[in-house]
Amino acid sequence: MLKIDKLSKSFGGILATDNVSLELKPNSINALIGPNGAGKTTLFNLITGKIDIDEGQIFIDNTNITNLKESEITHLGIARAFQITNIFSTLSVQDSIKVALLAKQHGLNNMWNRFKAHSINKEAESIAKLSGLTKSYNTISSALSHGDQKLLDIALALALKPKVLLLDEPTAGMGPEERWKMIDRIQKLWKKTKMTVLFIEHDMDIVFDIAQNIYVLQQGAIIAEGTPKEIKSNKKVIKAYLGGGKK
Amino acid sequence: MNLLKKDNFQRDVFLGLLVWFMLIIFYYILPDPGIHDIIQKVFILGLFAMSLNILIGYLGLIAFGHAAFFASGAYTLGLFLQSDFVLNLAGFSIPVAIVLAVLVSSILATLIGVICIRLKDIYFSFLTLAFQMLIYSIILALVNITGGDQGLMGGFPKPPFLGIDLGKPFDFYAFTIFISIITIVLLRQLIESPFGYGLRMIRDNSERPAALGFNNQKHKLIAFIIAGSIAGLAGSLQALLDVGAYPEWAFWSKSAEPLFMILLGGMHSFLGPLMGALIFEILNDFVTANTRYYGLVLGLVILCFVLGLKKGLLDWLLIKLNRK
Repeated sequence: MLKIDKLSKSFGGILATDNVSLELKPNSINALIGPNGAGKTTLFNLITGKIDIDEGQIFIDNTNITNLKESEITHLGIARAFQITNIFSTLSVQDSIKVALLAKQHGLNNMWNRFKAHSINKEAESIAKLSGLTKSYNTISSALSHGDQKLLDIALALALKPKVLLLDEPTAGMGPEERWKMIDRIQKLWKKTKMTVLFIEHDMDIVFDIAQNIYVLQQGAIIAEGTPKEIKSNKKVIKAYLGGGKK
Repeated sequence: MNLLKKDNFQRDVFLGLLVWFMLIIFYYILPDPGIHDIIQKVFILGLFAMSLNILIGYLGLIAFGHAAFFASGAYTLGLFLQSDFVLNLAGFSIPVAIVLAVLVSSILATLIGVICIRLKDIYFSFLTLAFQMLIYSIILALVNITGGDQGLMGGFPKPPFLGIDLGKPFDFYAFTIFISIITIVLLRQLIESPFGYGLRMIRDNSERPAALGFNNQKHKLIAFIIAGSIAGLAGSLQALLDVGAYPEWAFWSKSAEPLFMILLGGMHSFLGPLMGALIFEILNDFVTANTRYYGLVLGLVILCFVLGLKKGLLDWLLIKLNRK
């Protein structure tokens, strides 16, 4: 589904992404882990075209998307949710999802219909339902709880009906209970939509619980990959990341 | 009254025409030329301010050179009506002149917009200001065409068209308000359309749209052109009213006027800038009649709004009425 081939990126001489290769299988759920500063978000930024690639190539469904613009890559089926919630503060949940739907379909050039009465309403409702935002459907984004803002961020990505969904720390800043609710939601989403999911997460319990495949990033390079069982027993990973008395 | 319940284009057209009729009845009830003059100026300046509010209120871009388009509309109309084309066109001169004024302003807005919308925040503001001052200098320099610092000299004819004679006060009053209201109704359609929500989206978060597969720059440019065109229309109406055009209309202080109106009336309600124009004109009229210190009074009033209400009057009223 998503294939990355020998990807490298450096910022002022510091290698942020070091010869990374990986391939996500269709309809799989994968975790990307690694200590702070390992280059996880940078990798997301490279995949989505937010920053330029130095070396290497990226393919989605055998289409080469290397060096395409961010908006073009989005149209080819990669969507992401952000680590720091990245939503439209004065728009309601409903309106936010609708603009996201219309943005994808080039529908925001339309000047002759009324946005409020637009036929896209039903589709927006189903995305809100899928994201668990039905209760706060008419709430202004800035008034949502932190968890719901995170969900809205994901809902905006879902509105693009992506083949590959990248989630950058979907549980960041959440308490334990909220965390598991979020993970539950993501798992349900993944099962319903048959997307390929790659998520960044720091909580190892969560990672080992839901990921089929785990990639461990350290100093920009992938030092291990495999199933939760393989990663748990991988000596490199234990030394670099899981060790030091931590679980 | 079913028509009034639904928020759609038909309702806006109906309400617009209703307001127009009421203002025409008002013309006969209160036959005071001074008040008629204020009302038509409120609409002209209101259009100017509302066009700027597309950028400020809905797109979040503080354009500080909006008077460039007001002036280009005014000078285009004036120069065209001074030319020999009028002899051939006769009855069509004024409609053609207005269309041409809007067209020239839109072309100017395209040229300036292509460069300015690449920038953000204060850099955008300053660049629009710089372009406006360039236009101002051009107007001053081309003395043979524009009359330089004296403005367009000698006036221009206003040939009647379709039975409308803009030389007559009533015709001018009815025509100006009609054009303004139609433009406002169309502008509301734009603001409430998916395009309008695209503007709000960029205003709230200019980074996310790219991750939604959306091209901000194109959207911003179209909005900039529309805003410039409406400012050009307002300028052309102002030129018709004053039978002339003046370089001060391209000076930076002219760009500050619609900003004041937006501050006074409110940037978050659609008609806020129009209300701001009303406050501005009333202040202008009553204050200048009584004191020389107009600027001082205007400044104090704006301070009251900014520090007291913390928003424009219409924004404040709508929040009070809980209708927002």
